[in-house]
Order: sequence, then structure tokens, then C-alpha cells
Amino acid sequence: MLDGLSTSLKDALKKLAGKTVVDRAAVDELIKDLQRALISSDVNVKLVMELSKAIRTRSLDEELPKGTNVREHVLRIVYQELVRLVWASTEVKLEPQTILMAGLQGSGKTTTTGKMARYFQKKGLKVGVICADTFRPGAYDQLATLCNKIHVPIFGDPKATDARQIVKDGLVALKDQELIIVDTQGRHALEADLIQEIIDLNAITKATHRWLVIDAALGQSASEQARRFHEAIGIDGVIITKMDGTAKGGGAMSAVAETKSGIVFIGSGETIEDLERFDPDGFISRLLGMGDLKALAEKVEQAAIAEDMDVNAMMKGKFTLRDMYKQLEALNKMGPLKQIMGMLPMGNMQLPEGVYDVTSTKMVRYRIIMDSMSPKELDDPGLLNSSRMQRIAHGAGATQEEVRELLKYYKMMQRTLKTMRGGGGKFNMQRLMKRFSGMQ
Amino acid sequence: MFGGLKEKLQAARNKLGSSIGAIASAPAEAGEAAAPATPGTTPATIHTAETSGAAPAPAAGFVEKMKVLITERELIVSDKNIADALSELEMTLLESDVALPVTDAIIAHVRKGLVGKHRKIGESVDDLVVGALKNALLEVLGKGFNLAEYIKTHEHPVKILFTGVNGTGKTTTVAKIGAYLKKQGYTVVIGAGDTFRAGAIEQIGVHAERLGIKIIQHQEGADPSAVLYDTVQYALSHKIDVVLADTAGRFHNKSNLMNQLDKIRRVMKPDLIVYVDEAVAGNDAVIRASEFDRTVGADAVVLTKADMDSRGGAAISIAHTIGKPLMFLGVGQAYDDILPFDPEQVVEELLGGS
Repeated sequence: MLDGLSTSLKDALKKLAGKTVVDRAAVDELIKDLQRALISSDVNVKLVMELSKAIRTRSLDEELPKGTNVREHVLRIVYQELVRLVWASTEVKLEPQTILMAGLQGSGKTTTTGKMARYFQKKGLKVGVICADTFRPGAYDQLATLCNKIHVPIFGDPKATDARQIVKDGLVALKDQELIIVDTQGRHALEADLIQEIIDLNAITKATHRWLVIDAALGQSASEQARRFHEAIGIDGVIITKMDGTAKGGGAMSAVAETKSGIVFIGSGETIEDLERFDPDGFISRLLGMGDLKALAEKVEQAAIAEDMDVNAMMKGKFTLRDMYKQLEALNKMGPLKQIMGMLPMGNMQLPEGVYDVTSTKMVRYRIIMDSMSPKELDDPGLLNSSRMQRIAHGAGATQEEVRELLKYYKMMQRTLKTMRGGGGKFNMQRLMKRFSGMQ
Repeated sequence: MFGGLKEKLQAARNKLGSSIGAIASAPAEAGEAAAPATPGTTPATIHTAETSGAAPAPAAGFVEKMKVLITERELIVSDKNIADALSELEMTLLESDVALPVTDAIIAHVRKGLVGKHRKIGESVDDLVVGALKNALLEVLGKGFNLAEYIKTHEHPVKILFTGVNGTGKTTTVAKIGAYLKKQGYTVVIGAGDTFRAGAIEQIGVHAERLGIKIIQHQEGADPSAVLYDTVQYALSHKIDVVLADTAGRFHNKSNLMNQLDKIRRVMKPDLIVYVDEAVAGNDAVIRASEFDRTVGADAVVLTKADMDSRGGAAISIAHTIGKPLMFLGVGQAYDDILPFDPEQVVEELLGGS
């Protein structure tokens, strides 16, 4: 069912793919599918409407960046608008501080408190935990079990009934710890006495941060709940829990929009280590049910390529020197090679510092050499014998060695394209780069 | 719960009603003024008889329309008439957390109930709309589930297994249902089948102690199947009426945990499997309910945290998706904060008079 949904979004995108003029109807169709994707990921309906309005206006008003097609143009806007929404400053400082946990019943505050204690402990801080949940049976035992496992001191009393007193005592007892996390009882916005309690706890602790814990499955009520919590204690960060299920976390996005804060952590597993810092790209891809959004958005930045290269012909295996010339030209338009490489998903591959500059100089040389070739030679590199090479080298002010190197590079590109076609997989940039740098 | 939905449904109903009302009055005037007019000049655009999708010949459509309009004094509701109102209803349902596919199904149902309907001039627009909405909602919600009645008519001990994802309130629900059944005069034993989460055994232990209900528990980390098997054995040898089996929350996409649940089911052979989810869950409610239903089965549903919010769309989503009755709503933190669910009453209340 969900797959079907993201497929429909992809279909809508496909319709825009070949277009170079913004087609109002196609954009509207895409927006509609986008709305459905976001709503079925539990993003607040009103928020979705606002978002899609902004996306629509920008898609139709903004000029199409040169060399991009409409799909890329619209996608980039979608991506930007969504990132703008979730990517508020959520810096986690590693310094003495007090964090107050807030959230609905069963959202995962206690588990997250344990995970956070572990996170900050690993970062080298002296962490202490206060259990201010005096209501739920077993809450103290649960937190104590988690904290004992990682040797973090915990303050609490399963028999106490006054959360305020516990927190006061706890702050005294844990005064030697650098970072204190206060776990609280689950509550919802309509429980006035409990809301008052957390207001008091906030005053008592003078908390540095008040983080709202949101279950990834929380639906439309997320906005309202977040708003009320925000009014009460001023939420300055959201933690999404249970992201290891199938829920998309749209509710958390609504909460972030409502509190004008950002997403701090994501909980995705049952062990104490399962806490991650927030990654907006992964989150947004999941919301929309499509994995390649960032890559697509970035393609726009590399504008020139799509315009100049005949990808189809290349995919059929026809790759001539002429194509390579266009490719080099396109690469040149894109700016410094280093910047381009930064955008490509190459994992942790490290290139030697000098490589970038040498390579781009080399590219310019290659183009100059190719400028000395005849059209026939460009279309059919097989013609190039040693006398032709000599002529070309002479004309370009290069050595025959350089011409041979160029041909080697050309053959390598041709091979790479062949493997890409054969394997059916993605363009193996990493391998290409390896060969490329090996040629220096 | 459902308060917000009620308000919005009321608005949607008015809108549907008025858009049908509007076409009712407009053609009536048009009919009088333009009775002898030719097809070309008649404002036939408001509602042609194109309800079947395939466009009929214009002349036939016009004749048909005139016949219905003037001769029989009836109205045909067309797709176009109610499109706006339906899209408003769609928004209403989505904002109330009814999952997208379920919303689509309800809208389709209402549309089917309204479009093409011949409405006599005298018949109230309101009745027509309310009827269609009511049918759609009742169809989705199905029948309720009377637990007390079930226990009365089945062999004891009645073994009830509670399942669901993390943090939906299974343990609290077990305690509440224990209290509810005790009040009805049944003897109850609870099996502490959540041996995974830290503090879970203590949590259910405190509940049982407060309620004066016998509990069977092992160590943290023990095999839940063994705990629940022991619980059933205890019930058999002590002639206990009902076994309530708590389990650890688990995600439906973790096959090892779902296999564990399947093993529990094989070992304790429950009479009822109760799926617990929360009323505030969004679209994921549909996915996980259908996964639980598919892998270990579900006979009834309990929705918790219904006091958090006034929407209640999850109830509609889950009921529609797995077609299993809603048994209880959890509506607060106290033991008696649990309500048997009666769909007819809920729908009546949602669409009722005021």
C-alpha cells in the first residue's frame, strides 16, 4: 500500500522528467501526490496544505535553472522546503546542563532517558538521572535497571508521590554530575494538573533544555499536543522514538513546526545504544517514501551535464571522443572539481589533496588536444594511428604521450559506461575515480 | 474521544446537505422558466445524468433529466454536485487521523450512497446525507464486542492474549480489564508475559497487588511462553475464570519477536487475541494492525489513550483495515477508565441531532 503511494509520487515525477517548461497541470498533479504522501506519513494536514502552497508557488514562479528539467526543479524546491522545516538548529552541546523530558504516555521517555544517559556518557560527560515519574508502577525500576547497566547514578524513590520534592532532592544529591536528565511521567495536554506539574518541574530544575518525546506513529494530534507543551514549558527540541517500526514520524515534523524547534535525536531500537543524531535527508526520504531525493535535488546543482550529454546514446554503448569532449566541457561548467566531488555520494572515500587540481588541469589539456582532432577522428577514435597522433600533438602543443593518455582515459570511460550498462546498477563513481586518480 | 470528529462531521454534513439543497432549488426554477426550451439553451450543466460515467447521448440525457425533474419531480444527485463537499469530508477525516486508504474507502462509500440517488422533492436533504454517512461509518466500524457476554458463554478459563507495539498501553489495559472483570464477579489471573522491558514485571506486579489479582511472574529475560503456560496451568488447577496474558511490546517488522509471539500463541492457545493500539496513532495504525492480524491473528481491538485527543480516527482506520470489532476504549489513568465500545451508539452520537 505504501509502496503504491510512493510509486504514484514517482509516476507524477516521471511526467515532469522530460519537460523543460513548467506545466501547471503536471505540477498540480505532483503536488497532490505529494500531499497524499505527506498526509499518509502523518504530517499535520494544515501544515501539508501550507507546505504544498509554498511549493506550488515557488515551482511556478521561480525560473527554471538552466539545464535542469522540471522534475529536478520541483524536487529541489520540495526538498528545500522540507529541510527548512525540520532543520532548525539542534546542536547538542557537550557541556554541563539539565535536560527535562516531556511527552505523552507511552511515547518512550524512560527508554530514551536511558539512551541519552548512555550517549552523553560516551561523549565523556558525568551524567546523572532523576526519575520524576511517581505515577506509573515500575517506572523507577525500569530506569534504575537501565542506569545500573551503564553505571550512571540515578535518583528516585518508587514510593514517593511528590515529583517536585523528588526533583529538588535529586538536584542536590546529583550536584556533582555535569549533565542531569530528568525523566517525567507521561502526560497529555488535557490533564491540567499534570501540565502544572511539569511547569513547576521546569521552574525547579531551571532546565537548559526541554525536549519533547514523540512517538513516530503519533498522528494528527501531534501539533496540538506539541503546542500545549510548548505553551507550558517552551519546548526547544523534539526526539522521535520508535523509528524502527514502520511509522514515518510525520507527527514529529508537525511538532517541530509547532514549536519552531528542531529534531534532536531519533530512537530506533530496543537497546540502550539505539539513539542517533537526526539526519534530515534520511528522515525526509522516509516521509516521502522515496530514497533518492537528496541525490535528485543535488543533480540540479550539477546543472550542465543533463543539457549536453546524450545519455541515451551512451547507454546504448555508443561513446565517442565527441561525447567525452561534451562531458569534460560540462564538468568544467560545474565549477571546481572539489566542490562537485563533495556532492557525490562516495561514502568515506578519501582522495589525496592534490588530485583535484591536477585532474581539472588535465581536463583542460584533454579538451585542447581534442580541439586539434578532425570531426571524423572524434566520431571514430579507431582511426587514430601514430601519424595522426603526431599531427594532433603538434597542433595542440602537446606531447604524443599526452595524446595516448587521453585515449587511455577515453577507453576507461567507455569501459566504465559499459559496466554501468551491464550491471544495471548505479554509476560506479568510486571505481571510476580510483582509476582516474591512478592515472596521475 | 470523537468529540472533534463529531464537530467536523456535522460541518461536512451541512455542506453536503446544502450543496444538494442548492441543486434542488436551482433546477426547480430553471425547470419552470425553461421548460419548453431546446437542449442547447438549457443550463443543463448543473446536473446532467452522467452518473454512470459513460456519457449518454445529450438528447437522452436531457430528456431523462426533464422527465425526472418535471414529470416525476425528483432530483438526481450527481458527482459534480457533491465533489466539493466530499473533498471537504475527506479533509475532515484525514484531520481526524483516519488513515488515507480508509478515508478513500469511506469517501467512495458515501459517494456511492449519494450519487445517482433520485431524491423526491419532499424528502429531506439531511436524511439523505446522514443516511449515507451513517451507513459508511457503520460499515467501517462493524459490530462491537461484548467481553462479558463472551466469557459467560464460553468454557472457563477464557484465555486472553494481549498484543501490540511498544508503548500502546498493554500492561495498563490488562490491569483495567482485570478490574472490570473482577467487578463483574469473575476470578482473574494475570500472566506477566513482558519479560523483556526493564521494570515491566514490577509494573504489572504493582497493578495486580493493588487490584488483589493473582499474578504469575518469572524473572526478567525468561521465556514468555513458559510464564504464560504456567499462568494457564494455574488457572486450570484453581478453576479461575479468565487468564489475562500480558506480552512485551514488539514491532511487526521484527520477525524474531513476531515468531516469539507465535510461539506464545501455540503454547497457551488463547481463546481471544486482543490487539492493543493507541487512539492517537496515525497512518501507521493501519500497517501494524494488518501485520499483527496477518501473523498472529486478532479477535478484538482495544484502543487506549482515547482521552488524549478528540479525534479517534485510529478506531475507524483499524476497524476498517482488519475488520475486527473494537472491544474497549481506554480513557484515562484510573482502573475504571475503560469503556465498552458500541459502534451504533458512537455513530449515532457522531451524527445525531444537535
